[in-house]
Amino acid sequence: MITAELLCYRNLVINALTIKPGITTIIGANGSGKTTFLKLCAGITIPDSGSLLIDDTPPRETEIGWVNEYPDRNILFVNVFDEIASPLRFRRTPCNVIDSKVRAGAEAVGITYLLKRAVRELSGGEKMLVSLAAALVHHPKVLVLDEYDSHLDARTMAKIEQGIRASGAKYIIRCTQQMDTAIHSDALLFFDSGRITHAGTPEFVFPFLKGTAYYPVFWGS
Amino acid sequence: MVRITFNRLSVVRDPWSLSASGTFNEGVHLVNGDVGSGKSTLALMMAGLLPLSGGTIEREEITTTMLSLQFPELHVTGLSVAEECASWGVAPDEILDAIGLTGKEDASPLSLSRGELKRLHLACVLAQDYDLLLLDEPFSSLDCEEKVKLCAQIGQKTQGITIIFTHEQNILPRVKRIWEIVEGTLFDCGTPPDAFQHWRHVPPVIEKLIALGSPPDNISRDDFLEAVCRIQG
Repeated sequence: MITAELLCYRNLVINALTIKPGITTIIGANGSGKTTFLKLCAGITIPDSGSLLIDDTPPRETEIGWVNEYPDRNILFVNVFDEIASPLRFRRTPCNVIDSKVRAGAEAVGITYLLKRAVRELSGGEKMLVSLAAALVHHPKVLVLDEYDSHLDARTMAKIEQGIRASGAKYIIRCTQQMDTAIHSDALLFFDSGRITHAGTPEFVFPFLKGTAYYPVFWGS
Repeated sequence: MVRITFNRLSVVRDPWSLSASGTFNEGVHLVNGDVGSGKSTLALMMAGLLPLSGGTIEREEITTTMLSLQFPELHVTGLSVAEECASWGVAPDEILDAIGLTGKEDASPLSLSRGELKRLHLACVLAQDYDLLLLDEPFSSLDCEEKVKLCAQIGQKTQGITIIFTHEQNILPRVKRIWEIVEGTLFDCGTPPDAFQHWRHVPPVIEKLIALGSPPDNISRDDFLEAVCRIQG
């Protein structure tokens, strides 16, 4: 389980939260604390007070795969292959293993055709797929995805959804503004002004959002 | 009458290529397409910022053009939010209240959250009228409620050509015409609702509404909800 207790970071306050293995999707307005929470889950930031633990371990001692909504902010290398290989090279993985794992990672998100390309030549969506492949390549226990779908079309999303689910990550925590994506989750967390106001299955949470733009057009029809 | 016409326009970056022919008249247009299909490339070419490999672009009565890029930080020139507004010729108090940024006049634009920066950028862009307004992925980084507000603002535009290049398919404004890039070619799907028959990757929600015998009149969320209401009686 991922557990948060008396967690405070800037304007984010979570008194008690438990996240079970599976896909947990965070929805809510800009500035409601979604990215802040994801960064805490990824160990990019640490709480001002309180705790957040992943199977009783701090995030910084856990294998994490992180994807930023703005992939340019995380991409370090010039070429696609080198970018995807970087998490493995930092771990001093043998070269022959790196080659096969990079190809498998690229295949999981459908971008083997991009492996020889320069990152700067890619579209925003393609850069996002490169970041996703780099996050998946070392088989993280926790995959944290910050609005990774905001630059991806529905068909690409459908393809990579399978790769994400097959990644072996025990916990997938993501935020999205696409409710078609959110409905395919084990749990939803709705954030409002730094607080979680609704938590549970999509069937439990969406009825609270009726009348808002977060309510799926066909939900309950 | 403002108008922009592509005559056998092409760009080639082997093995990728894009070709386009067609005329964009006054009104709001949607150019839909998958990741890497060439939406941003087409927008750059329409703005005159990318050389063509072949063909021509004819611009009629277009004296002012604005391209809003997908990533708003690429537009930032001001050291503060107030400076950024001024760089667009906009008084901060004219727009900041409406986008929830009152009190952040002295903050660096790059210190804003991504959604805040996108709202600031779009508010600066939409504060003025252009003969040709090109919006590349305007909905990225915006939450659902902000997307709905942006759609309302775009829907109020009464002059010029506005072209939205996006993969977004759920929250969109009413449009005059739908275009789609498929396998390297720009296709004119026509005007909604007839365009739905020619839109190869029609949004699943429209597909479902058609299957249920209640096609929406256009592509806005209100049109979808109204079509759902028809089904429910």
